[in-house]
Amino acid sequence: MFDPYYLQQLAIGLSLGMTYALMAIGFTLIFGVLNVVNFAHGEIYTLGAFAGLVLISATAPPIVAVILGALAIGALAGFSLERIAFKPFRRFTDEASLKSRAMRESTLLSSLAVSIVVREALEIVFGSQMRSVPFEYLINTPVRVGPVILVTGDFIIFGVAAAMLIGLQYLLTRTRVGLAIRAVSNNPLGAKYVGIDTDRTIITTFVVGSMMGAAAGILMGLYYGAVFPAMGFTPGIKAFVAMVMGGLSSIPGAVICALILGISESMATTFVSSGWSDMVAYGFLILTLIFFPNGLFGARRERV
Amino acid sequence: MNAFENAAPADGLTRRRGLLVPALILLLVFAALPALLAGFDKGYFYQIANLALIFVLLSASMHLVTGVAGLLHLGHAAFYGVGAYTAALLTSKLGLGFTVTLPLSGLVAALVAFLVALPTMRLVSIYFAVATLAIGQMLYLVMLNWVDFTKGPNGVIVSKGFELFGFSLSGRLGAYYTVAAVVTLSVIAIGRLSHSYYGNALRSIREDDQCADAMGVSTVRLKMEAFTLSAFFAGIAGSLWAHMTGYISPGDFKFSESILILAMVVVGGLGSLPGAVIGALLLILLPEGLRALGDFRNIMVGLVMFLSILLLPKGLLGEVSALRLVRRQLGAAWRNTGPANGKGEGIGWR
Amino acid sequence: MTHLLEIRNVSRRFGGVQAVGDVTAHVNEGELVGLIGPNGAGKTTLFNLISGFTPLSGGTVAFAGRTISGLKPNQVARLGISRTFQNLRVFPNMSVFDNVSVGAVGALPQGAFGALFGGLHRSGRDRSAEISRRTWEALEAVGLTHVAAELAANLPYGQRKYLEIARALAMRPRFLILDEPAAGLNDTETRDLAAFIKRLHGQGLTVMLVEHDMTLVMGICQRILVLASGRKIADGTPDAIRTDAAVLEAYLGVDE
Repeated sequence: MFDPYYLQQLAIGLSLGMTYALMAIGFTLIFGVLNVVNFAHGEIYTLGAFAGLVLISATAPPIVAVILGALAIGALAGFSLERIAFKPFRRFTDEASLKSRAMRESTLLSSLAVSIVVREALEIVFGSQMRSVPFEYLINTPVRVGPVILVTGDFIIFGVAAAMLIGLQYLLTRTRVGLAIRAVSNNPLGAKYVGIDTDRTIITTFVVGSMMGAAAGILMGLYYGAVFPAMGFTPGIKAFVAMVMGGLSSIPGAVICALILGISESMATTFVSSGWSDMVAYGFLILTLIFFPNGLFGARRERV
Repeated sequence: MNAFENAAPADGLTRRRGLLVPALILLLVFAALPALLAGFDKGYFYQIANLALIFVLLSASMHLVTGVAGLLHLGHAAFYGVGAYTAALLTSKLGLGFTVTLPLSGLVAALVAFLVALPTMRLVSIYFAVATLAIGQMLYLVMLNWVDFTKGPNGVIVSKGFELFGFSLSGRLGAYYTVAAVVTLSVIAIGRLSHSYYGNALRSIREDDQCADAMGVSTVRLKMEAFTLSAFFAGIAGSLWAHMTGYISPGDFKFSESILILAMVVVGGLGSLPGAVIGALLLILLPEGLRALGDFRNIMVGLVMFLSILLLPKGLLGEVSALRLVRRQLGAAWRNTGPANGKGEGIGWR
Repeated sequence: MTHLLEIRNVSRRFGGVQAVGDVTAHVNEGELVGLIGPNGAGKTTLFNLISGFTPLSGGTVAFAGRTISGLKPNQVARLGISRTFQNLRVFPNMSVFDNVSVGAVGALPQGAFGALFGGLHRSGRDRSAEISRRTWEALEAVGLTHVAAELAANLPYGQRKYLEIARALAMRPRFLILDEPAAGLNDTETRDLAAFIKRLHGQGLTVMLVEHDMTLVMGICQRILVLASGRKIADGTPDAIRTDAAVLEAYLGVDE
């Protein structure tokens, strides 16, 4: 039962799940406010990682500065993304409704297009090869906890994920900005009528969500030691799966499902080669869609 | 009043006849192209022409499922891959030739599509799109990881070129005419499907599936047929690709290829077959024409797609605005879900 | 004698709300029946229960001697019940002809095989010709042949109403249910519509009108069913309904 091997796999799975959770938090935040699937979230993640890498190779700053740099790029990217791929399509709505279906759903294709452009631009600038992060920046010093071996990165990721959840909780429930975000998420028209600057709130959401995505990107870069233009695709899909499983607009639901996903994948590698482990995510996705159309933690609804 | 009456078509099927002329023109262009290219005398042009033709077929097959039936399909390239692998493996393991592998590729792709469609076809809207993405990725993982069978990332060498009942068509010209003939016939078939009453029933699902249901259209069954048929033609395209290049690997069928095909349909205009054909030609030939600028092919795809959504919501020739399609598709799901359902739940913490 | 449509003890709950409770009613072949009731009486729900859009919580619905409860809308439609929608649901990006042809092809399906190879053999050609003929006949019946090539989205409101009816007629139904056909029409248009419905009925079609408004129904229907709060409170000729105490109470509130 307590075979150390399985404990080790469980620990690996948890840390893997944490990395998905990092991604899923920002993804779900953006989805929750506008009900848009932001296909470019994976590219924000990649941008964060590349921003860190460029900083490292240019000036070799302390690691905190690297992460701050990634956050700044994430914020900038989130802002631009909203302006380029989301804002223009709000003009298709009737004047009143900021969150009309026209706006929130049509942006799926536009964010997809932007994600292609960003990824290809990165490939042109940096080449499609993996670039390795200098050794001294890696966060993979082994740490022994009982029978299980972890690395420092696991703790950092856990800490960052927890901090994000708590910070987001604080932001959403205790600040004016959070109140505005929740108001827009709930009823954008009503929010507008009571004098909330919806446009700015939406941008804020994108900036916050994208900063989280970029932080996830640079952390993963430091954790695995490799950065490449297509690195955002798989975590993006995993975050999406976690979000759908969690019931689309529940951040804790998405985090829990991200953990479930990570543990399942690491357990699966016990039985099959690691190449197949992505199959678990897609399998979960299909099964969730068929049997739990409202997500594992979603509220019951009449018709999907 | 009389003027109006004269303007009305004498028979509802005029559109079908209207398709014949463009098809004939296309045929002439195909036949004449080698003569035009003869001046250059470079194999490279044939490669590009064949590639463009194969993507015309892929785009046309996606037109059937996304443009006509209105299902957002994000995993089309996987069925193209299934067809290509069927052809390649039948050739390398059993030594079969193109004459046999062509129909089998289509049938195997259609069979796979049918099997995965069984549980997923009841899904609507965004869930359907996500499911096709997952299915596409799963098939891709099989190509990549089932090393014993598919040779994994190393790919498969297809030793046989084109032939018809043993009669070799493997020369540069032969290959071109084979590809052109198969693609033309397939596009004509897709045209017949989409410009028939059957096509109208599919369109009604795109427009309003509940209403279509009330008109006696069995929506789930028709969606499944459209999905399977489009996979059949994608499989045919896969077989052409395998025999044309002589070597295939999983990378040819990854997610970005699905998006490329989707972009072709969107740029050309959803619901229009000529649009799908033009979209494919545009997105293959334009980047090739600008090759001198560097490898900008994929970035062009993204840019062209973005600009066409922004500036030409109906694409070049479409009957439906891409935005409106996605809105309708996704609206149904999200009307009742998410924070906006009026239950007073915001983002976050329930 | 069996009725064309037989509704027996039908009920439907939505969560805790009883939308339709224990309704029993029938429609005879060749009748023109009205179904009325105040807002929220359950008219549309009952109608959706008949056409298969909403599953029943209890009871049975039979059409032409065959139980149809539990069938899908398209199966119900193919048995000969065709409907229109309250909130005008035409297919906006299709031409008027194509819109109507969907009704015809729904009743007379053309498969993928037929679409591909139908031109090559006689039965396939006959089927296409039949679909085309039914489509033109339906267009002619509502007088929309001159706009057959227009996009449905470009038609004015009134014509779109007739387009929806044409689409339903192209199915060659035995039983046509019209859901609030007069909604949004002015008095003249409503009178024209009433005459049109009477003409359809005169050609032998069984029609049920679901209406919120009494005047149209009272003018043309032979028999009227009245629903209030999900229950049938009256069933009789227009004259009987007009003086029925329960109906008056439901419509006007308790007389004070």
